[in-house]
Amino acid sequence: MTPSKLFTRTAAALLGAAALVPGLAQSQAYPTREIRFVCAFPAGSGADVLVRYFANAVQKVSGNTIIVENKSGAAGLIAAEYAARSRPDGYTVFVHASSGIANMLALYKKPPIDPYKAMEVVATINRQPFMIMVDPKSPYKTLAQLTEAMKKKGEKATYGVAAMTGRVVGEIYKARTGIKAVEVQYKTANDSLNDQLSGRLDYTVQDPQYAMAMHREGKLRILGVSTGERLQANPDLPTMREQGVDMDVTGWFAAMVPAGTPAPVKAKLHEWFVKVVSTPETKAFLNQSGGDPLIETQEQAQKRLLRDIDSWKEWAKMARIVPQ
Amino acid sequence: MGSGFEFNIIANLATGFGAAASLENLGFALLGCVLGTLIGVLPGIGPIPTIAMLLPITYGLNPLSSLIMLAGIYYGAAYGGSTTSILVNIPGEASSIVTAIDGHQMAKQGRAGLALAVSALGSFFAGCVGIVFIAAFGPPLAALAQEFNSPDYFALMVLGLVMAVMLAHGSVAKAFAMVFVGLLLGLVGTDVNSGTQRYTFGVTFLFDGLDFLPLVIGLFGIVEVVKNLELKEMPRMTVAARFRDLWPKLSDFKDAWKPVLRGTGLGSLLGILPGGGAVLASFASYTLEKKIAADPTRFGRGAIEGVAGPESANNAAAQTSFIPLLTLGIPSNAVMALMMGALMIQGIQPGAAVMTKQPELFWGLVASMWIGNVILVVLNLPLIGIWVKLLSIPYRLLFPAILLFCVVGVYATNTTPGMIALMAGFGALGYVLHKFGCEPAPLVLGFILGPVMEENLRRSMVMSRGDPMVFLERPISATLLVVSAIVVGLIVVPAFRKSREEVFQEDSA
Repeated sequence: MTPSKLFTRTAAALLGAAALVPGLAQSQAYPTREIRFVCAFPAGSGADVLVRYFANAVQKVSGNTIIVENKSGAAGLIAAEYAARSRPDGYTVFVHASSGIANMLALYKKPPIDPYKAMEVVATINRQPFMIMVDPKSPYKTLAQLTEAMKKKGEKATYGVAAMTGRVVGEIYKARTGIKAVEVQYKTANDSLNDQLSGRLDYTVQDPQYAMAMHREGKLRILGVSTGERLQANPDLPTMREQGVDMDVTGWFAAMVPAGTPAPVKAKLHEWFVKVVSTPETKAFLNQSGGDPLIETQEQAQKRLLRDIDSWKEWAKMARIVPQ
Repeated sequence: MGSGFEFNIIANLATGFGAAASLENLGFALLGCVLGTLIGVLPGIGPIPTIAMLLPITYGLNPLSSLIMLAGIYYGAAYGGSTTSILVNIPGEASSIVTAIDGHQMAKQGRAGLALAVSALGSFFAGCVGIVFIAAFGPPLAALAQEFNSPDYFALMVLGLVMAVMLAHGSVAKAFAMVFVGLLLGLVGTDVNSGTQRYTFGVTFLFDGLDFLPLVIGLFGIVEVVKNLELKEMPRMTVAARFRDLWPKLSDFKDAWKPVLRGTGLGSLLGILPGGGAVLASFASYTLEKKIAADPTRFGRGAIEGVAGPESANNAAAQTSFIPLLTLGIPSNAVMALMMGALMIQGIQPGAAVMTKQPELFWGLVASMWIGNVILVVLNLPLIGIWVKLLSIPYRLLFPAILLFCVVGVYATNTTPGMIALMAGFGALGYVLHKFGCEPAPLVLGFILGPVMEENLRRSMVMSRGDPMVFLERPISATLLVVSAIVVGLIVVPAFRKSREEVFQEDSA
């Protein structure tokens, strides 16, 4: 393409874009058309269930049509990039685990977007732990018993993880207790079940959806949760911290928009999400998969995201994760 | 057990039929079957993209109705996939690859209607048996699948790959080469253990590995069109003229019923193995039929057993693969993963709890499988005439339409333009392979089974701290590996290899 052609095309594109950018008056009239919720996982996945729940609920609260758009792949990178590069007008909302943004610098040398700047949190949705689980047939009833046995087993001990956060919680547990268990990775939590039930894995560190389902069915026993304090979803489950293994790894889902979205639009989105998150139905829905509703101001939430980005750098170092 | 156990089966099925046979649910089953067949019959589009495309339609329904409709879509699409395998030699999914071998030959000989009828009736019979299987043996069989550990999965995959070589046409060397190309393609993506990127060149949509759909649609769909375009004179397929001729004759039944029985048994067993499923079942059944046939040279040239066996096997496996999903919450293949997704959309966590806490849902689904199978036979046998008419569509219309549907199918599942480029790339690769006389089927199996095999190999080795004896210590994996070794032995024994190559030589002639 010759430079002059490039110039004309760019100019044309800019003019076109300018014509489409809503003015202030229009942004106050927000929303005037359907809003897209971007989901980073395929239709039917655990995350998709959550996104669709909120799409339905926000649609009711706002009276506006909400469409869920699944952009799966590359552990959420594709969706994050897609959402971040959308027009910052409030019509594209990324509903996703914040760790997907927060761990980007820890995992990738050249992340497709700048996690510090590209996205702004408009509302928090929940907070949830990762959980340490053992076979109910095993003799370990408390974390202390497990730790003691694992210390004796030394390098012969083996544990399984499936998600990045699970790896991190597993490494913190080992670092705090000095146990030397060897990590085995699985693509999904379900893949590890047979190996765990046959005794090949001494313990696993799993996401709350899987952990709670297995716990309810009595297939696996939960020994500790990774959040700093106990959650209402499972007040009977002790934290790792209160059992002497200091950590606070709290996962949280959030609604995020591309940086530069007008404040009134963000305020409106925030208001809708807060309305939905504070209902008893939402609480029951979130509790069922091991999480609590979380309501914070936009400033608190943004700070939480920035804090998590730094935590992830430290955790990744601990877990010897090399950015790719 | 005993009589009380039998009573339970009947009582359970009664619960199921009570829930599934309401007018409303029958309507959804019918709608699902029609939609599934309609989309599934489009060449190159198998059950997975069909279900994926139609999944959103079911979101608004109640859980049972939505599952019933999805199951209908699944069977309809699977049946549609077999139909395109037979009529235009384009398998919509891996499990109908073998159907295409003899089914398409039958179609070329003017026996398309017979092949379709045998496929439908065999599938129906296998479906019925599969359902009884789920009802009677679901719970105890779940225990067997639960015994499978990482070393056993590895051994199962090894057996699957060895079978792929055994099944391939042409030279053993080429088949091995294809399996390895498949394994290499399966390496693309993020390494599970270290997170290292392999052959992704920084392209984000490759981070999860190459997508299955562009690969198969490229290798099978596109190549089929190009192969046909290459022919100077388009050979017209002779279409059986009158509807009456399409029905199987008594002699056809005589040829088909034994393979149907064997395929059903094999499929029911292989279906419950996670990762095995319908693909392994159809391949295994085809090998078995060819092995025990009085005249194996007929295979590849329109042997009715080569359609009856695998079609029954994959349908039986399709039914029994619900067992690990509904008892353990583990999807054994991509279709089950979609079903699991549909359950979770409805707020149901798949697992043993579904059977105990929501019996009408579990047994309703089981009953709806049977209803779906009936609808398919009732719907499709009369419509075979219409499917056969597809053959008389002029190529100048059919080929662009197939290409269009291939593109739409690939694009619709994951709206990434790169997928279309991948599909085109695999189309080109498939054409080159075709020119060198290499079969794409072993490549596809290597691609599917390779990553699972690698994962389980590495997991087993980490758990045994690098001691390979772990594969021989466990009875399941030891048995599977011994069987694999025997098959490899058979392949390399000169006498066997000679006879095998003779068989396939005649095929390709």
